Amino acid sequence: MNAVLTAPEIQVVADLPGWLAVGGGEGLKNALADPDAIVPTIEAAGLRGLGGAGFPTHRKWAAVAAQPPNPEGGGKWIVCNGNEDEPGTFKDRFLLSRTPHQVIEGALIAAVAVRANHIALYVNPREDQSVVALRLSAIAWAAHPLLDQVAELVGSPVELHVCESSGLYVGGEETAAVANVMGGFPFPSLKPPYPAERGVHGAPTLLNNVETLAHVPHILRHGAHWYRELGLGNAVGTKLYSLSGDVLRPGLHELPMGTSLRELVFGYGGGMLAGKGFKAVFTGGPSNTLLTDRDLDIALDFDSLAARGSRLGTGAMIVVGEGTSILRKTAEYVAFFAANSCGQCPSCKIGTHQVSRLLERIDAGAGRPADLEALENFTRLLPGSGRCGLVDGAATVLASSLATFRSEYEQAVRHG
Amino acid sequence: MATARLVIDGHPIEGEPGTSLLQAWVAAGLPLTENVGCMGQGVCGACRVLVRRPGERLAQTGLACETLVEDGLQVAFINLSRGSRPHPYDLHALGDSWDAIARIDELFPEAERCRHCGGCDSACPKGIQVQQMVNLAAVGQTYAAAELFDDCVQCNLCVAACPEHIDPAHLGQLVRRMTAAMTLRPSDLIMRLHELEAGEQPIDLDAPGARPPAPDAEDAR
Amino acid sequence: MSTGIGFDQALTAWREAAPADSRQLDLPVKELLDRFHPDRKRGARSKLVIGPNAGEACPSALTRLLQSDSLLQDVDIAGAPTLEADVLVIGGGGAGCIAALTAARAGARVLVATKLGLGDSNTVMAEGGIQAAVGADDSLQRHFEDTLRAGHFKADKELVAALVSGGPSAIRWLIREGMNFDLAEGSQRMGGTLLRKTPGGASAARLLSYRDFTGLELMRAVREGTLMQSNITILERHPALELLSDDRGRCAGAVLHDLARGRAVVARSAVTVLTTGGSGRLHLAGFPTSNHYGATADGLVLAYRLGARLRDVGSFQYHPTGIAWPGPLEGQLVSEAARSSGAVLVNGLGQRFVDELQPRDIVASAILREIAEGRGVARDGKVGVFLDTPSLERAKPGILARELVTLRNLARRAGFDPAEEPFMIRPTLHYQNGGVEINAAGHTTVPGLLAAGEVTGGLHGRNRMMGNALLELVVFGRLAGASAAADARRERPRNVGLTHLADWRRAMESQRLPLDRKAPLLFPSYSNFDPVRDRRRGA
Repeated sequence: MNAVLTAPEIQVVADLPGWLAVGGGEGLKNALADPDAIVPTIEAAGLRGLGGAGFPTHRKWAAVAAQPPNPEGGGKWIVCNGNEDEPGTFKDRFLLSRTPHQVIEGALIAAVAVRANHIALYVNPREDQSVVALRLSAIAWAAHPLLDQVAELVGSPVELHVCESSGLYVGGEETAAVANVMGGFPFPSLKPPYPAERGVHGAPTLLNNVETLAHVPHILRHGAHWYRELGLGNAVGTKLYSLSGDVLRPGLHELPMGTSLRELVFGYGGGMLAGKGFKAVFTGGPSNTLLTDRDLDIALDFDSLAARGSRLGTGAMIVVGEGTSILRKTAEYVAFFAANSCGQCPSCKIGTHQVSRLLERIDAGAGRPADLEALENFTRLLPGSGRCGLVDGAATVLASSLATFRSEYEQAVRHG
Repeated sequence: MATARLVIDGHPIEGEPGTSLLQAWVAAGLPLTENVGCMGQGVCGACRVLVRRPGERLAQTGLACETLVEDGLQVAFINLSRGSRPHPYDLHALGDSWDAIARIDELFPEAERCRHCGGCDSACPKGIQVQQMVNLAAVGQTYAAAELFDDCVQCNLCVAACPEHIDPAHLGQLVRRMTAAMTLRPSDLIMRLHELEAGEQPIDLDAPGARPPAPDAEDAR
Repeated sequence: MSTGIGFDQALTAWREAAPADSRQLDLPVKELLDRFHPDRKRGARSKLVIGPNAGEACPSALTRLLQSDSLLQDVDIAGAPTLEADVLVIGGGGAGCIAALTAARAGARVLVATKLGLGDSNTVMAEGGIQAAVGADDSLQRHFEDTLRAGHFKADKELVAALVSGGPSAIRWLIREGMNFDLAEGSQRMGGTLLRKTPGGASAARLLSYRDFTGLELMRAVREGTLMQSNITILERHPALELLSDDRGRCAGAVLHDLARGRAVVARSAVTVLTTGGSGRLHLAGFPTSNHYGATADGLVLAYRLGARLRDVGSFQYHPTGIAWPGPLEGQLVSEAARSSGAVLVNGLGQRFVDELQPRDIVASAILREIAEGRGVARDGKVGVFLDTPSLERAKPGILARELVTLRNLARRAGFDPAEEPFMIRPTLHYQNGGVEINAAGHTTVPGLLAAGEVTGGLHGRNRMMGNALLELVVFGRLAGASAAADARRERPRNVGLTHLADWRRAMESQRLPLDRKAPLLFPSYSNFDPVRDRRRGA
């Protein structure tokens, strides 16, 4: 298929004329020509949040558009979320460092749609190429007449801010991102209020993932129908799959949304490394239900994975082959969540740490059967017990790993 | 009051009203060899639990010997070893009190990175203002910091709660120990020690008061 | 236990009489103790038939433990991981930590093996204080004589002399370790004077304290010091199953049980210090206990089996004021501070029956007499007597909130207001007065084996004074630690194994003692834990 977001000709980095020369700006012009059509177009395209949640994009936009601007808070804000710190996810850094203009143009179209005058390009500071590319791009846009047209429509000057995030995983959560953009520590907070009502400096705020916004100029340029047709089956558009783990050709693959797991792993991924048997895939955060060899023919899209009881998440697919311990991997991921819990909620920080200790103990051969019951207890106690979803992710991957690969755990506690 | 039904570490348990989580656990026939110590006085800090009450979003930490059974509780024990020393120091090598206060920073460099999440305060089963102690200690207000930590039972829940690895429980003990070791100089004790060194407090093993007053009737038994 | 007077009726009687008039005992002390002190109950005691104390009587439950077989066979330690140390300290409470610290500072490589976590012990639960004769009106001699008198002159004078002489320097040592002490009102931290209270049976104010959690404050400082000390390796959840011996009968370390992995670990050492504490969790004579969960007499069992002589092992302290009601709090301590502040004891008829400031064994026996003779207070199947806190509060308004914080918290957990309703109390098994015989340097009668703290005997005779337990563990913890470090340089065991067990089993067989009875217990009978089964898990 033809790549959209990763097409070689649009990888012009910060060269704005270069972007405009390959069709960039067309989408924004269409948006400016008929601002009221933007949200319906996005809705018709079926675009969903590609940062992991899969929430219909047009509903967020409509919610922010419906809010009155908050003058004390600066009007309205858009936060382009490029915090990306999940294990196995490496798509936003590609877009920001190679094709930042399509992301910024997407944000400008969103600004037109919701009448926002502040755009925060929220980027993980560990991705220095992304930071440089965004800074140069923002300067280029600030001097371009298109931005004036956007400002005219919004009704006030539009500012592009490059905000280096804390670089912490938890900063990707939307209330945490809002706190971080305001200069504070990225502490998540309980919702409601949602950022759409009260976000950055109290102003209505639209948060979208980098990949989500990157699709927007293309949709506005080529139309909703074109976008829908890119997907397979009922799925729409393309998806950046971050493929890693025990495969021959790991990397970023832009494929039709709904590509099967088998095609991703054995086709694009070149099959399993060293001819190992396929065992499982940790998806998304990795905070979701594991996929196993029974799921090889599942379509990797939001609805198909939800029907399976899992989630697409960020599109990260961490493939595990025979010879790799699920228990070990789960221990590593839970340790990641424990280390990245912000500290506000005891259930999250202390609970994930305890799960981590139990997993380490079992993996070290010092576990006992009662530890498995204690772990299962956590899969029931922890979900929903935090201000944000971090603890839920840890609980989900634990529950799934325990349920699907129970025998690995039982063997570890029996022979420990 | 009816029997409370709750779950501890995955085991459905029925607890008599008024009994602690620990008592309910052993009454249910489950083995208890860790996360236990003083068994009710709430001073050893060994029986840490995470407790989620029905209908409540956030879970809370507590001590299992002090937390009573309630219907619908979900409970998990938290094992925290105290046998590690992440911030080692030698109390006797801190120098005099001029240097020692400055050295708190060297010994606990994370303290000034407190992100003010309040997790330590929420985690403390004794209601100590842990974060405030950390902040005071970080700016050298040693005595005020030490006073805040008076009720600490060294359960180490604040250590587990701290995302910056500050080790509040150990920082709290450092400031407490410093204030005692460097400022407490009772005159009566010092005088008595001088007497002892001079051999002025001999003990007479056969003094009249060291002998039973009368032929000890109890011996006849 | 006989039934008593119903709670409501007793409450009415108390209200009508409060504050009740003081009344002296109408029974000679000797007769009271003989008839009502649990130590002296006939039938509940039996004679030891093997071991160094054969012929002496002690509580039957303890006799059974002392005359039981090892949990180990020689084959159990084949292939077990082995650790080496100069000094092995068994027990991680106050005495253990202090012995370990002292030995390590003297240059020894120290291994501390503890059944629970470091510091989880009776030490941390001590509320009242620590005795040390520091007052100008006090002297070592007074402390010495008071201690002997409280123990009915059954204590070892050399040990008591060492105890009281070490008092002042023990306090200095504790302060250097970072322990705080209360100062006299208006006193300054530098050059002020220590707050001194008078413990029951003392001729001078001698009890030093830190609020009403002196043991916790002591343990915090010492635990932290132990944790920070280099040369100390701490093994938590590693109870000792058996001492190791060499071919000359010298103690050579211990076989530990790694509870996390369910397997044996061999810890070899030049010197072993036993600091395993007491035995309240045996619930002798069916008594509740104020002790922590690990107090199961393990040290007595191990030392006796290796041939260490015990003394006063049938002598226990029943603290007069344990909680009798409500059931879940049964056995927990109501601090002696309540009585020393003036709270009186009242039976179901609203009468006082003893001078509440008498030594603990007398007060406890007097309470047990009231209960036995039907004058106790009965509530929900529990029988006790009243501790009249409401009258205390009326006489000294505000005292509960100001000085008896722990007591008030206890009442809150029991669900009543101590200013309105009296506590229901009953004696609770509190302290093991006797134990492993030691000399003033901490040596037991077995070469290479030292002991300190509650596990030892000789310091308290038949009754311990309040405040001498904390002092003992500091003074003798230090003495034993210093001796251990010095001894470790002199002689090391050779040909190490479980050779003493064969002799022991021969002795058991000759007396037809059942070999299927195993000890140490490690955990109380209600712990739902079986060390034999647990050991198979790790096999």
